[in-house]
Amino acid sequence: MKRAPLPPLQLHLALILLSAALIAFQLEQMQLLALIQWHHFAYLIISVALLGFGASGTLIALYRSSLLRHMEWLLPVLMFACAITMALALPLSQGISSRFDVCLLFVEAGQTPLLLLSQSIYLLVFFLGALPLGLVFIGLSHRINSLYCANLMGSGIGGLGAVALMYFLLPQQLPALTALLPWAAGILVIARPRRMPLLVLAALTLAVITAVLFQPPPIRPSQYKDISRTLDLPGSKIAASQPSPYGLIELVTAPALRYAPGLSLTYEQEVPTVRGAVFTNGDWFGAVSSGQASFLQATLTALPYAMAKRDRVLVLQAGTGTDIILALENGAQEIMAVEPQQQATAISTDLHPPTTPLDHRLVQRSSLTPRTWLALHRQAYDLITLPTVGSFGGASGLFALQEEYLLTREAFLELWRHLSPDGVLQVSAWLDSPARNSLRLAATLAETLEEVGVDAHQHVAAVRGWNMITFILKRSPLSNDDITAVRSFCQRLQFDPTLLPGLQAQERIRSHAPADPHFLANLDSLFSPASRSELSSSYPFNLAPVSDNHPFFSQFLRWQSLAHLLQLFGERALPFLELGYLIVLVSFCQITLAAVLLILLPLLRLGLPGRSGLQRWTIPFFGGLGLGYMFFEIMLIHKLVLFFGHPIFAAAAGISGLLIFSGLGSLLSGHSLPRPANHGQAAALVALLLLLYFFILPPLLQLAITLPPMWKTLFFLLLIAPPGLAMGMPFPLGLSQLANHSKSQAAWAWGINGCVSVVSTGLATIVAVELGFSAVMLMACAAYALAALSTAWS
Amino acid sequence: MGIKQQETIAKSNAGHFSPSGLRRGALFFVILFCLGHGAETLSASWWDDSSNLAKQRLQMINGQLKNRGITDPKILRAMSTVPRHLFVPDHLRQQAYRDGPLPIGHGQTISQPYIVAYMTEILQINPQHKVLEIGTGSGYQAAVLAELSDQVYTMEIIPELAASAGKRLKETGYTKVTVRQGDGYHGWPEAAPFDAIMVTAAAEFIPPPLLQQLKAGGRMIIPVGSPFYVQHLMLVEKKGGNITTHSLIPVRFVPFRRSQ
Repeated sequence: MKRAPLPPLQLHLALILLSAALIAFQLEQMQLLALIQWHHFAYLIISVALLGFGASGTLIALYRSSLLRHMEWLLPVLMFACAITMALALPLSQGISSRFDVCLLFVEAGQTPLLLLSQSIYLLVFFLGALPLGLVFIGLSHRINSLYCANLMGSGIGGLGAVALMYFLLPQQLPALTALLPWAAGILVIARPRRMPLLVLAALTLAVITAVLFQPPPIRPSQYKDISRTLDLPGSKIAASQPSPYGLIELVTAPALRYAPGLSLTYEQEVPTVRGAVFTNGDWFGAVSSGQASFLQATLTALPYAMAKRDRVLVLQAGTGTDIILALENGAQEIMAVEPQQQATAISTDLHPPTTPLDHRLVQRSSLTPRTWLALHRQAYDLITLPTVGSFGGASGLFALQEEYLLTREAFLELWRHLSPDGVLQVSAWLDSPARNSLRLAATLAETLEEVGVDAHQHVAAVRGWNMITFILKRSPLSNDDITAVRSFCQRLQFDPTLLPGLQAQERIRSHAPADPHFLANLDSLFSPASRSELSSSYPFNLAPVSDNHPFFSQFLRWQSLAHLLQLFGERALPFLELGYLIVLVSFCQITLAAVLLILLPLLRLGLPGRSGLQRWTIPFFGGLGLGYMFFEIMLIHKLVLFFGHPIFAAAAGISGLLIFSGLGSLLSGHSLPRPANHGQAAALVALLLLLYFFILPPLLQLAITLPPMWKTLFFLLLIAPPGLAMGMPFPLGLSQLANHSKSQAAWAWGINGCVSVVSTGLATIVAVELGFSAVMLMACAAYALAALSTAWS
Repeated sequence: MGIKQQETIAKSNAGHFSPSGLRRGALFFVILFCLGHGAETLSASWWDDSSNLAKQRLQMINGQLKNRGITDPKILRAMSTVPRHLFVPDHLRQQAYRDGPLPIGHGQTISQPYIVAYMTEILQINPQHKVLEIGTGSGYQAAVLAELSDQVYTMEIIPELAASAGKRLKETGYTKVTVRQGDGYHGWPEAAPFDAIMVTAAAEFIPPPLLQQLKAGGRMIIPVGSPFYVQHLMLVEKKGGNITTHSLIPVRFVPFRRSQ
């Protein structure tokens, strides 16, 4: 086989650039597709497209010798092709997206081919990017340690770079900019002979990238997105746009925009128009109030102020500040507003005059996530408000897989500790049908109060309007004055008192009859452990409170109830109960099927494992590494959301920190430093380390959560270094071992690792939903143990 | 009412066969084709299409409405009279009578036939009633209401939808439906009070002017859910000085009970 006559430095640099581009492109597209459709659509497209890595391994395994023979010119050509497809993926997919909509996927049969076409476009990008990586790894397997190091380092840098760029550039500008990286990588790997045609190709590639860079395609969000429906209103316009790692933040103004959730039907005055509405990635974030807020006194959220004066108010996930306006209207003296999406709140200052309730002199602000803020502070408050749970109309179950750390058992215990002696926690939920959000919320309140050892019936009140329920949890027992105040509030505004000591049955449905005649009985039964357990086991949806280990508050579907639900709702309606989870399941099945085919295809040429010299350990070893690595990474991101208090930093630090240390580990595995003797031992070392981390990681992160950000980052890097370094070793050791035996099998192994890694992302989500994140960590550990055992067995 | 649409189809189909832009040879071929078996096929195809849609409408009445408990003969007659296929986008015409909502653009849908019938039934409309619809959409619901009352007012905030629905209602013969483009928040004070109000574009709150424009003893219905899935219907009633709501689950869902 011919070796590419390239200086090692150039080759390594090219790999770093290409790898950085691939991960940056992945993150950018996730955001772009989430903006055009929804996060779940992005997941559906990108998770499948990443199979391009596996497909590249399959192709190399099948046509290794001819591909390696032409590697000299193939490398730059593939890198240029990758650059062109990166730049053109958005305009092409936008063309398809104009007719495709994830909302129609279960409504119109013609949508499935469009989805497959979208996936194919992105799959091509990753395939063209992964093919040169695979060719280099296999062709130059004697240098695999440093090459794999360059690959992982590049990926780590790419992740950080993409997040940094998201602060400054609009999402549609990023892919073409990123495409410059594989283009530059292609330039670096142009060998001296036959240089001219490749330079011409490079020039053409640059021309395409430049064209897209200076003329990025316009973004056309789905017609069903909140922003599209708002922009359909007469006189509406986008008043300001701001890129951010959370997504594109847009401020829309429209003369007919009004927002008054939880408003009493007795309110007869004008509901004022709002000054604008803020959207993140096209999804509703909040309304920018005009300052006329008298109507807020006639909403359910005014209940705590009807009971007593609240001087110190803590508003968690303050959004655009509606709860702050209400607090100020009711004479609060000190308001703490916690909102991690600061750019989304800041954009309203683009309106004139640039005032926002968050700028009021009585308001202090924090950009931490609420849980991190609660962990860092000890002050007690007279009132703590949480954002409304669920969404009006149910949003088709799109948020089933959204992690909600503010609604877990641990969060409510923390909130309880932050209440002053007579302080109250106020949380509302949109009423859904069948009832799920309100019941799970009630179950969480009941369990919290049992945990702290008080009688829930004496501490919880609830009031219901036509579409919303508001719960009040009081630190001290509800007094007679409180009860009178709640009753009078309800009478004045025609709300129904739903939970209150001494309530008569007739009072509870005076104005608003619920859809489910069992709703009130179900709600009551949640407040005693025995009946709660009975309801939990018989209710068709899972109502059990969620925990930090399993923070999916909006995921209610129980598989054992599926037949019952199908019978009740019909197969057409069912997808809309929990579309988010269904999409993950659909993509998981699609990926698994494709991955199995991609893994098995090379066997046509290589023969069956155990025969024709094919190593038996190849599938369990490289599959185990792929699964173990992805599972650990996903679990790590989950833990870091609470630790760093910022999901984007968590993802960037988790992914990039781990990748960079793994890169170093790969480099070390090629040197004569103390290291595992072989790939099996390296995998065993990782399994042992992960088992240790299963026990020590959560308490150590909890211990360090109060550190200042700089020390916190340093602590995390030190903590992650041992497993990170160890996790970089098994793959290069195993691949070089296999390549010594057969290059085709090494190529196959690269494909197996790629395929299983992609399958693992979906599987990790399913395991987390069904069993919790601890199970994800244990399975990561088991996967590495399997990899280690497979080599011993062989 | 509602028969003119057949002529409309015939006219619009005929328009596609105008020979003005065709080259002579092609024209000759087309004429030959039509004179042979072509004309027969085209005519049969149109006839099949039309009769097939009528058959589908009948199946909709029996399979989707009667089966689920819509029994009011007035509602069934209205649903069997209004040509739903003329209120959906052309490319979805063949799916007009299937058991589900369909997209009509601008993030809006034409509701599932059963939901249209159920909401109409709940409003208990009689010919003397004055009815207001907020959110005209395709105009289909307004057409169904117009089969029951001669005083139907419908408002749509999206100008394009308001214009196309107005045109469609006229073309299909529903000339007594008054369509206005405007913000549904304010209702229609000049025509108030209303015996029944249907708010097809539900908001997080019920605009106070709409409640004020609802006659004492009147009924308002609001579907709550996402574009492709109605969770429940909210019936608002004004009785004396009180306003009460009743959340209704469409019959096909049957009252939700615990699984055993």
